Amino acid sequence: MNANTAFTLVIGLPLVGTPIIYLVGRLWARQNGQSNAANPARWLALLVLLATGVFTYFAVVSATADNTGISLNFGKLALTMDGLGLFLAVTVLALGILVTLFSAPYMQAEVGEEKFYALLTAMIGAIIGLGCATDLFNLWLWFEAMAVTSYFLVAFYHDQKGSLEAGWKYLVQSATGSTLVMLGIALAFAATGSLSFDQLRQAAASADPLLLAAGALFVVGFGVKTALVPLHTWLPDAHSQAPSGISAMLSGIVIEAGLIAMLRALGILYATSQVWGYLLLGFGALNLLVGNLMALRQTQVKRLLAYSSLSHVGYMLIGFGMAFAFAMPNGAIGGFFHLFNHALMKGLAFLAAGALLYALYIAKGHHGPLVLDDLNGASKRYPLTAFCFSLAVLALGGLPPLAGFMSKWQIFVSGFETGNTVAIILVIFAALNSVLSLGYYAPMVNRLYRGQPSQKVQDGKKIPPLLAVPMVILALAIVLFGFWPSLLTNLTSRAALGLFMLMGG
Amino acid sequence: MATTLLLLTIAIPWVGGLIVWLVGNKHASLQHRIAVAFALLAGGAGVALIPYSSSQIVVNLPLGSVFGDFTFVADGLGVFLTVVATVIGSLAVIFSVDYMHGEDQLGRYYAMVLFFIGAMSGLVLTSNMLLVFFFWEITALCSYALISFHNDDPKAVAGGIKALIITQIGGVGLLAGALLLFAVTGSMDFNALIANPALMPAKWLGIMAFGFLIAAAAKSAQFPFQTWLPDAMEAPTPISALIHAATMVNAGVYLMARFYPAFKDVPGWTTAVLLVGMITALMAAIMALVSNDLKRVLAYSTVSQLGYMFYAIGAGGIYASQFHLFSHSIFKALLFLGAGAVIHSVGTRDMRQMGGLGKQMPLVRAVFIIGGLALAGIPILNGFWSKEMVLEAGLAHAPIWTYIVMLVGAGITALYTFRCIWMVFYGQPQSEKHVHDAGPAMKVALIPLAFATLTSWLLAGSFGKLLGPETLPSHGIEISSLGEVIHEVLSLPTLIALIVIALGLAAWWWRGKLTGLSNALKGIGKAAADSFGFEAINRGIVKGTQSAAEALRATQTGLLNWNIFGIIAGLIIVLAVVIFGG
Repeated sequence: MNANTAFTLVIGLPLVGTPIIYLVGRLWARQNGQSNAANPARWLALLVLLATGVFTYFAVVSATADNTGISLNFGKLALTMDGLGLFLAVTVLALGILVTLFSAPYMQAEVGEEKFYALLTAMIGAIIGLGCATDLFNLWLWFEAMAVTSYFLVAFYHDQKGSLEAGWKYLVQSATGSTLVMLGIALAFAATGSLSFDQLRQAAASADPLLLAAGALFVVGFGVKTALVPLHTWLPDAHSQAPSGISAMLSGIVIEAGLIAMLRALGILYATSQVWGYLLLGFGALNLLVGNLMALRQTQVKRLLAYSSLSHVGYMLIGFGMAFAFAMPNGAIGGFFHLFNHALMKGLAFLAAGALLYALYIAKGHHGPLVLDDLNGASKRYPLTAFCFSLAVLALGGLPPLAGFMSKWQIFVSGFETGNTVAIILVIFAALNSVLSLGYYAPMVNRLYRGQPSQKVQDGKKIPPLLAVPMVILALAIVLFGFWPSLLTNLTSRAALGLFMLMGG
Repeated sequence: MATTLLLLTIAIPWVGGLIVWLVGNKHASLQHRIAVAFALLAGGAGVALIPYSSSQIVVNLPLGSVFGDFTFVADGLGVFLTVVATVIGSLAVIFSVDYMHGEDQLGRYYAMVLFFIGAMSGLVLTSNMLLVFFFWEITALCSYALISFHNDDPKAVAGGIKALIITQIGGVGLLAGALLLFAVTGSMDFNALIANPALMPAKWLGIMAFGFLIAAAAKSAQFPFQTWLPDAMEAPTPISALIHAATMVNAGVYLMARFYPAFKDVPGWTTAVLLVGMITALMAAIMALVSNDLKRVLAYSTVSQLGYMFYAIGAGGIYASQFHLFSHSIFKALLFLGAGAVIHSVGTRDMRQMGGLGKQMPLVRAVFIIGGLALAGIPILNGFWSKEMVLEAGLAHAPIWTYIVMLVGAGITALYTFRCIWMVFYGQPQSEKHVHDAGPAMKVALIPLAFATLTSWLLAGSFGKLLGPETLPSHGIEISSLGEVIHEVLSLPTLIALIVIALGLAAWWWRGKLTGLSNALKGIGKAAADSFGFEAINRGIVKGTQSAAEALRATQTGLLNWNIFGIIAGLIIVLAVVIFGG
């Protein structure tokens, strides 16, 4: 199969599939009303995503050997799947397929299920497109598409006040961020007369004040979506109120897509100033500390996981900061490795929490938050879910032989390779934060394995087997990459190369 | 062959752990049998590896980039510790068959124990710094999981998390050193550094040396990280015997011994190791003297004896430190398993509720006394020979005042050992409990250990040859026969040491006449009970962190206006940084 055809399908399938999924689902729902049978929208969504994955594989396999990636031109619209785009596509499809599978029983009883799958597919399509953008306008466009679909997904339980509030705050704050990004794009255009990445980079050779201001606006604008501290305040509400599959997507890939957009934008401005790398490092340290300290005090499981996402973005920022500030390839490779691992680990954590939420609340028609006390003794009735949750959470804490350890290791290596005292102190700080995070991860594992189950666990319903399949797949992947981290080196180093080429080689 | 055996010492326990877990808790007796079988097989593999010891790399899995080549070397130090881990591990597993009889969630227990044994083998056999850290962290994970095995007991959970956090904090020191090695030399293989310390510039070598010391001190519960080990006694006693006496806590001593040739010329390092060992040895001995919890006495005793090993390393006596590690693993495992038999039977760990148990538990009393004599350093048990070697090394190469402190420590060791044995097995029974002697599986574990305590010193020569220049070219261990050891130990300093030890024993025997002295020292006793203020430091750190976290919650106002303000404030700060820093 021709690489261009495959690439066109990769971009086009989710977008074309979205309205079809919605229509099919809606028509079926109108026909069958209150039936308990499965809405075909979910299987259609799964099919579309699997097909996209297959075509991504074909695209990669038939791409040329050089590292410029596969390019497409729709008139004036140019899209290129370079290493970075490929990385983002692989990550979002891997997590997206598993989340769709998970959501099949999870969203079973919900009204408007077909909208869920349509929006999810659209969001995935938007993220793939974001990775392949070659100019600022497209970057912003796909970014906005991703944001809009995610607003609806966060507020999906529109009859619950908590979800609506979370969705509203997310919308307003994210829109603020997007406005700042637009201002930045305007300034960049004013300074250089072009929006294309290549032309911008060539024109952005020196410290033009307009470009510096644009860069600052990009950092803060995309930073709202990436949940940099102090721009993060929407995150705990949004990630805890969304349906659990969406929480997994949000923490696992949506905020990271914001990070990648920021990296693209800063990459082209690389030559204008040394400060971008230092900003990333500074925000990284802040995210680590604030994320961990706030998570320490949480009693709701999903809020705890949301704050922990803040700290893991901190690790990624440190990795990418090392790449920007000190030109350390391992920083970027490690950052991408951690991004991928975090999608797996946080994804698994949210899916396992979601499975428990399903069994203890949703299946009984309640809509309450899963609190720490509900976890007590859960391993007695739900051994697989408890094991997967423990695995995910210990992996997030950076314990070997799980994946999180290896990606953190790579980021830490990059910091020491700089030979710079401040960088080394920052790595020690990050390592100590890893230890701090165990202070809230480990007690959850202890709770799960108590001998005396909580009342909620005793009254809980069964967990459908289909919920277990994505969890087991993710758990196996986490163990695999923990023992054999070099399996992903090809993917992550191509992404890093894509980033470095954007920065000017 | 060496390759296969080496990989088997890791693979057999790990596969066994997986199988025990998969078998499921409904088949408890099958789980017991599988665990014992795999543990024994691992022990066999470890022992079979001894003849193949060499300094050659026997396993090499190149992974590239920042992960280095995953290499393993079956040298003397690694093989000896693997044998300790797997053989004592199998005895602890056998003991568990009786001790954990009827317990819930055995799959988790045995899986973690076997996972640990494999990780311990991996830790000491690898020559890749990343893998050292990798296995180091895995042992910490297993230790945490097993300390907090009874998750419904808040003390156990607290003890497990405390152990995890403190050893992990120390682990950052190991991480820093490992990363420095890779960043400076471009390779993860540490044998190159051990053979040639000049490979790393002095500044980085110094940071690495002290980073490793911090990690080792935390892992081995040395000053100032000693507070986690006593709380770890909430673990089931076979775990205390295996992990917190015979193997995991030795990882710190192993690290120091392994890297000694690389760090010995770093200014201040050997002195620091010496002082850490000395302070710990004395401090922990005093804490053991005032404790009434049987396992805590043994825990503090472990910390104290590890202090002797650190002291030996600081004084340059690598052979002495490893020989004492060898003896200590055996007699301390024996003491813990014996204590386990007592606790399992009596149902309490408080020695004030024991007394006079010797009549009803003759075998346990006998083996416990053997272990106690070894701990106190009475000839001719294994503890005597190794402790005297440690003291000789100190006398030869360390300042004389440190030697005197260690000597006093030996006396206190004898005192608290005698006190412990007396309170448990002699005197008047303090409660009307009916007790029974050790079960059959317990006996199977206890008797070989007692035998080894009496005889392991006979292997001193072979032990020296195992650690000799053929397998450890840089460590300078020259002892190769039992005669040399006997010759070194039978000397005047040993006689003086024995007199001090006899004084310690006498102090307990005539404790009635010494009440004036013990009253005068009550203040020290009270300080010792609270770990000389270190528990207060721990509590302070935890409280400080939780308060900071609680205070930070104010920033999550829940009000959209404040959130937007946060975004604008962020923008202003970033603009300022860009303008002034760009």
